[in-house]
Amino acid sequence: MKFYVCIKQVPDVSAPLQIKDGQLIQDNDRMILNAYDASAVEEALVLTEKHGGEVEVVLIGPEKASETIRKALAMGAHRGTHILITEKQKIDSAVYARILASYFSDKEYDFIACGKQAQDTDSGLTGSMLAEHLKIPYVTNAVGLDYENHHLTVKRQGDIGQEMIELPAPGVVTCSNDMNEPRIPSLKGIMQSKRKEVNTLTPDELGMKMEDVEIKTRILGFEEKPGRKPGKKLEGDPDKIARKTAHLLDEEAGVL
Amino acid sequence: MSTLLTYISVNNGKIKRSSLEVLSRCTQEANKLGFKSAALIIDENATQYSSQLGSYGLTKVYTVEGPSFKNHLNTPVLKALSAVMNRVKPKVMAFASTEGSKDILGALAANQGIPALPDMSEFEVTDTGVKGKRPVMAAKIISNVEAEGDSVIISVRSGSYDLINLPSEPEVESVEVDVGEDETKSILKEIITASGDRVDLSEADVVVAAGRGVKDEEGQNLISELARLLNAGIGASRALTESGAYDPSLQIGQTGKVVSPQLYIAVGISGAIQHVAGITNSKVIVAINKDPDAPIFDIADYGIVGDLYKVLPPFIEELKKIKGE
Ligand SMILES: Cc1cc2nc3c(=O)[nH]c(=O)nc-3n(C[C@H](O)[C@H](O)[C@H](O)COP(=O)(O)OP(=O)(O)OC[C@H]3O[C@@H](n4cnc5c(N)ncnc54)[C@H](O)[C@@H]3O)c2cc1C
Ligand SMILES: Nc1ncnc2c1ncn2[C@@H]1O[C@H](COP(=O)(O)O)[C@@H](O)[C@H]1O
Repeated sequence: MKFYVCIKQVPDVSAPLQIKDGQLIQDNDRMILNAYDASAVEEALVLTEKHGGEVEVVLIGPEKASETIRKALAMGAHRGTHILITEKQKIDSAVYARILASYFSDKEYDFIACGKQAQDTDSGLTGSMLAEHLKIPYVTNAVGLDYENHHLTVKRQGDIGQEMIELPAPGVVTCSNDMNEPRIPSLKGIMQSKRKEVNTLTPDELGMKMEDVEIKTRILGFEEKPGRKPGKKLEGDPDKIARKTAHLLDEEAGVL
Repeated sequence: MSTLLTYISVNNGKIKRSSLEVLSRCTQEANKLGFKSAALIIDENATQYSSQLGSYGLTKVYTVEGPSFKNHLNTPVLKALSAVMNRVKPKVMAFASTEGSKDILGALAANQGIPALPDMSEFEVTDTGVKGKRPVMAAKIISNVEAEGDSVIISVRSGSYDLINLPSEPEVESVEVDVGEDETKSILKEIITASGDRVDLSEADVVVAAGRGVKDEEGQNLISELARLLNAGIGASRALTESGAYDPSLQIGQTGKVVSPQLYIAVGISGAIQHVAGITNSKVIVAINKDPDAPIFDIADYGIVGDLYKVLPPFIEELKKIKGE
């Protein structure tokens, strides 16, 4: 089974963020593999370990993002493709999906896995856009995967419960981080990753002229979230502070 | 005249409040700009819900009906949406941000060749498209965004807008969409619903959420008792959906649901950013945690520092007195 996983390098959201003049100051040392993509890699590895096959990761990003490809290779992915763009290009999910679609247009595969969303943009668009461009079926927000006879059984988290959906190959699935704990690369994995093949391409080589690509959504700037301030903090005898809070909710906050 | 079209989500036989919030905002924007506000219901029994849309200043309700829409599956819904959009050519196609809409937003945008802005907390319609705000980076900061196009798709976080009351008698137009069976390649096998008749979290006025501090059945019983007393929806942190203590549908946060209740009570939850991402639209946040330095206290309006097993019983008892139980 041939599994492709689309992975993105994102800033670590748990690192402190700074906004200056409407711009986000990112700490270049704290860039990580998008957590949802790590889960997608993990799941693809588990399935190919069980049923045979190969996992290839595809990343669109600047030079620096190649470290994230290495991370996925160290987890166990067999090979990688790096589609190189410059840091300055303000690309949205729609353009990422277009580039990925041109990459996949002449590839053969059973499944393409994406994250359910990128942790930095929280968009969650790329996977289903890609499926629509490739005209293949897709399932989003997977929390469990199983493989049998050329189809995946996807457990999907819906609004009120889970749905079991049968997805035939070729198809796209987007993964939640709720389906597994991504493995931490072993020392051996890290050593082996250095010898694995990474193929570097440009959008140009895929027939996409980035200068001509129309980017229809734009980020005008960033701002602090209107902060919630800490309110009253009650410490002391549990019985007293519990009863006091009940009355505060009734008389002061008026929410009962 | 241009139309702002709002997709109405139906869940368990009820229109979702979050859709009505988006609809209310769209009607206000339409009235401001001299556009029409219309609604679209895609459901097994779509027409039956149109009568519930009489107070949102609508000119028109489009319905697409049929057995293909009994359960959510993306292929038929996309087909219906594309058909209606091709017909109406809305300036804005607006959704409430739900797992159902997240499932189709990207594919619909790609299919129509138009931009999409998901999960917005504010939006306004402009001459060239839509602009507004989106929480990003696990909802730690706000990005000001803009989409350009004759038609733009957006989705809006629950709790972002209030409901309006603007009586009107919209015309109901049923749109026929033929959903070819062979086109539906992915097949829904089974629906595993959350057990019990729970309050829909994303619309609950009160949410009681349990975290890892809730260690055992005794703790869960206290949570259930508090929730019953306050007529609250029960939610959980990832720690407890992952452990299997609570149903995964109850997870609140970046991976889980966004809630916007009047009152949110976090019990034994540390307040990791990914959890907080789902709760900052709450009006009043109460936190019960034995660690005085837990980050949840940074955003709580009322913080009770203490052991939940010692705090909850008198808290529940006092609330009962206040409620006259
Ligand atoms: C990509 C990604 C997405 C994520 N999405 C989500 C999400 O959607 N939702 C989510 O919740 N998490 C999410 N997480 C996980 C998140 O980072 C935290 O791990 C999780 O929220 C922790 O849950 P918790 O607060 O219950 O547990 P902990 O962080 O372990 O906190 C338990 C708290 O309980 C307190 N406590 C213990 N015993 C008691 C007692 N007897 N009385 C009172 N207090 C007590 C402790 O002091 C502690 O503060 C995500 C993580 C990642 C990486
Ligand atoms: N630059 C990228 N390179 C490779 N895959 C990407 C890229 N951007 C997004 N994706 C994939 O699309 C998913 C959703 O991204 P988004 O639509 O931005 O939330 C991610 O989890 C990745 O799997």
